[in-house]
Amino acid sequence: MPTAEYEGDVEVLEDQFAGKPNVGPIELESRDVSVWFGQRKVLEGVNIAFPKKTVTALIGPSGCGKSTYIRTLNRLHELIPGAALAGSVLYEGKDIYDTDVDPVHIRLKIGMVFQKPNPFPSMTIRGNVLSGLKLSGMKRDGHDEIVEQTLTSAGLWNEVKDRLDSAAGELSGGQQQRLVIARALAVQPHVLLMDEPCSALDPASTLKIEETIRELSKEITIVIVTHNMQQAVRVSDYTAFFLAAENEPGYVIEQGPTTDIFSNPQDQRTLDYVNGRFG
Amino acid sequence: MTQVLDRERIAEWSQQEPQRPWTRKPVHLQVWIALAALLPAVIVALMFTYTDLPGPVLMVVVYLPLQLVASGFAALATKGRQGIADSVIIVNAIGATLFSFIILFSVLGSLIFRGFEALWGDDGFRSSFLVQNNVYINPSTPLEYGGLGHAVIGTLIIVLIASVIAVPIGIATAIYITEVRGRAVPYVRFFVQAMSGVPSIVAGLFILTVLIVSGAIGQSAFAGGLAYAILMLPTVARTAEEVLRLIPEDLRTGALALGSTRARVVLRVVIPAAKTGIITAIILGVARVIGETAPLLLTSLKSDQTVLNPLSDPIAALPTYIFDNVALPYPGAVTRAWGAALVLMIIVLILFTIARILGRDRLNKSR
Amino acid sequence: MSMPRTEVRRDLKSAATSHKGDRVFNRSITAAAFTALVVLAGIAIFLGLSAVEALRTQGLDFLFTTEWSVEQEDPKAGIWGMLYGSVLLSAIGLVIAIPASLLLSVFIVFLAPRRLAKVMTNVVDLMAAIPSVILGLWAFYLLNPPAEEWQFLLNKYLGWIPIFQNESGNFNGTPFIAGFVLAIMMIPIITSVSREVLGRTPPDLINAAEALGCSLWTMLRYVALPYGRGGIVGGIMLGLGRALGETIAIFFVLKLIFETNWYNIIESGGGSVATLIVATFGEVSGPYELNLLLAAGFFLFVGTLVVNVIANLIVQRTGRMQR
Repeated sequence: MPTAEYEGDVEVLEDQFAGKPNVGPIELESRDVSVWFGQRKVLEGVNIAFPKKTVTALIGPSGCGKSTYIRTLNRLHELIPGAALAGSVLYEGKDIYDTDVDPVHIRLKIGMVFQKPNPFPSMTIRGNVLSGLKLSGMKRDGHDEIVEQTLTSAGLWNEVKDRLDSAAGELSGGQQQRLVIARALAVQPHVLLMDEPCSALDPASTLKIEETIRELSKEITIVIVTHNMQQAVRVSDYTAFFLAAENEPGYVIEQGPTTDIFSNPQDQRTLDYVNGRFG
Repeated sequence: MTQVLDRERIAEWSQQEPQRPWTRKPVHLQVWIALAALLPAVIVALMFTYTDLPGPVLMVVVYLPLQLVASGFAALATKGRQGIADSVIIVNAIGATLFSFIILFSVLGSLIFRGFEALWGDDGFRSSFLVQNNVYINPSTPLEYGGLGHAVIGTLIIVLIASVIAVPIGIATAIYITEVRGRAVPYVRFFVQAMSGVPSIVAGLFILTVLIVSGAIGQSAFAGGLAYAILMLPTVARTAEEVLRLIPEDLRTGALALGSTRARVVLRVVIPAAKTGIITAIILGVARVIGETAPLLLTSLKSDQTVLNPLSDPIAALPTYIFDNVALPYPGAVTRAWGAALVLMIIVLILFTIARILGRDRLNKSR
Repeated sequence: MSMPRTEVRRDLKSAATSHKGDRVFNRSITAAAFTALVVLAGIAIFLGLSAVEALRTQGLDFLFTTEWSVEQEDPKAGIWGMLYGSVLLSAIGLVIAIPASLLLSVFIVFLAPRRLAKVMTNVVDLMAAIPSVILGLWAFYLLNPPAEEWQFLLNKYLGWIPIFQNESGNFNGTPFIAGFVLAIMMIPIITSVSREVLGRTPPDLINAAEALGCSLWTMLRYVALPYGRGGIVGGIMLGLGRALGETIAIFFVLKLIFETNWYNIIESGGGSVATLIVATFGEVSGPYELNLLLAAGFFLFVGTLVVNVIANLIVQRTGRMQR
């Protein structure tokens, strides 16, 4: 049953998504994905489809595998010693774990922003934005345009346009995180994975980044892990709720349009979680 | 409408096996990799059999470049242009690793095989080598006679003298830095670090000019010990400082709160708590100096006799014993040198192993 | 009527040491702590006096000419060949040691499985523990024969390159072999420091690079090496300081000559200040010659001191920046 607290948010959501297309083509999809670290199974049977140009929020208490899950989507999971998985992840219809798929190509197309802003301290702002090109060997022309475009999309251009050659370390936390977003955008991803991007930031920066996310989702698909349920409501079209019982792997208990998850969930646990009764 | 977890599929999911799909490589690439691994080795083996170029030369001049090129091609095939730089690094990194293994094993191996002859005669273990001195021996005397007993004693005496001087001062320096915390701490650390860079021969020269040339003391074990002390002090001070730093502050404040004086806090509380670490510091200091030759060549010289008086006469020590015998044209002398080197290396290894064990215990205890 | 409150600022530090035992304790500890300074100053002064004397009697020729004719009426001595030689040998050593050490540290930190990495770390530490006299012994009997062959081949096939020229046909006691031995002494030092520094590269940065599709090389080039640059340079300088002062390891494999061998590194004969001192000490002709050796020792002391101080400053500065 919808609770009174969410009435207002539901209206906000209905306004926000007024112009949005219905579920269209699927950009990225995981089918029956299960994840192990060594012998321990930490996730089981995750089936989520991410439609193009939408924002999907992954919510759930800490430690139930959300961060691990998104790392299977851009093949960062395999870099962890002892990592194993089952199932498939389909991008543009093809399993990204096929033997003829280049992981570098996947990581360029499916980018990631981490919880703690991690710009490269030894590089300038400009250098950071373009660093993805150097690190992956991707060739693009017009570096100046790239820097301006991505910083604008990340909502940072006006603040740093006069000091592109200063050190990245001098920026504030919120600015660094936006720089990191610009850096991810410079390699032209179609999907952006965000692992609790605002949890280390102050509320003002958080709002700026949420604004950026909404703008970006007009062009690319976004998957955001978040502990902040109001953020999920503000920012996402779809939500998936993860939960892991003690000594058991994590499961996706319930998923669907954000409005439905928050105002009309079917599972009691989802209802309890979104009402803040645990987690 | 939302989708809920489909519980019926859990049975199906529990049948899944963990896999590592990223380790699989398509067949044609496996062929490339096999070629890259085998082809250079085969070529080199052929060249080794049919030409008379020496082995090590072949390895470096032919095998390494061939392997680099082959790996480069394999990388190009599997990962594209990005892979070539990686393959170059990996091949060379493995090469550097093998290189250091080879050097280390060559040194240790030669010590064992060649030193063996000195320690093991026709009747088995030759303890005389370890115990006797060289008083009536000249380089061509057969190995049954003479030994390095006097050198071992000499080394012990010199190291003992050095420790008696360097250990208290080194620990005191560490105490100054971590306990007394005077205003000069950064300067003291600077000087200790500068002192650790003093070449061993300069330490010998210093003692030579200050004490020997001026006639204050003669060339003796004492002089050698002083020179060793200069080299030992920074190691003891630095390690002791690290160790004292690890002692939790609460221990000190607790003792002070009970009314203890600063001095007693340090002497009765902190130092005993850091016991193992301080022993480690001493052992590392000893290991650092025990093989040093240059300072002894200038201060304690050498001798064939067993000298027990540290102040009067030149004295033998293991490093100088080796030094004397290295380049002599008598095979017996050279074997003695190897034997002494083996003994010295064993002592150094024992010291390092003890220090390492103590260090590990200390880490485990503080967790 | 209220009394004006006079506040007396109390210096807490002096209150803490008011106990007599503590004062004695503090003073003796402080005195001991300055031993290092006293010794360094002592070395500088006593050897410096000899240097002054040498410069006074030989003039600047002592530093800029190469000869050692001290038995004659008007003794002439110049250690230029030795100074240059020490630098040349260290340079040869660095050319070998720097790539080897970097590759070793990259292997240990980024490539090797954990157990092999531990083994390699111990191998490197063991190499550092080998006393120089044992290394000299090994080099004389085990390194020389193959090295002579190597240099012969180098000269045969690459002899048109000036540094590989050899007039005498003698490939014994060359700067190349001595430099190689110095490299073996430097590799453990440089590798230890580099390994530590590279290992401290923040995993956050490496994750960022991985998410952007990096390869091993690009990660090293744009993330790990820039991060560790200071520490690595510091480590290289520490190794250099060690090499400049090394005597015994190269004593038997270097033929000491009194002409400056500028660049013929596989030609027999070279110089080194430390080797000069040890080689000449045994047969010193008198106090004047001894004094010259002390003077040479002074310059060796100053050179290694400068290199070590710079090295420590670099290592400390980058350590602080990394926190």
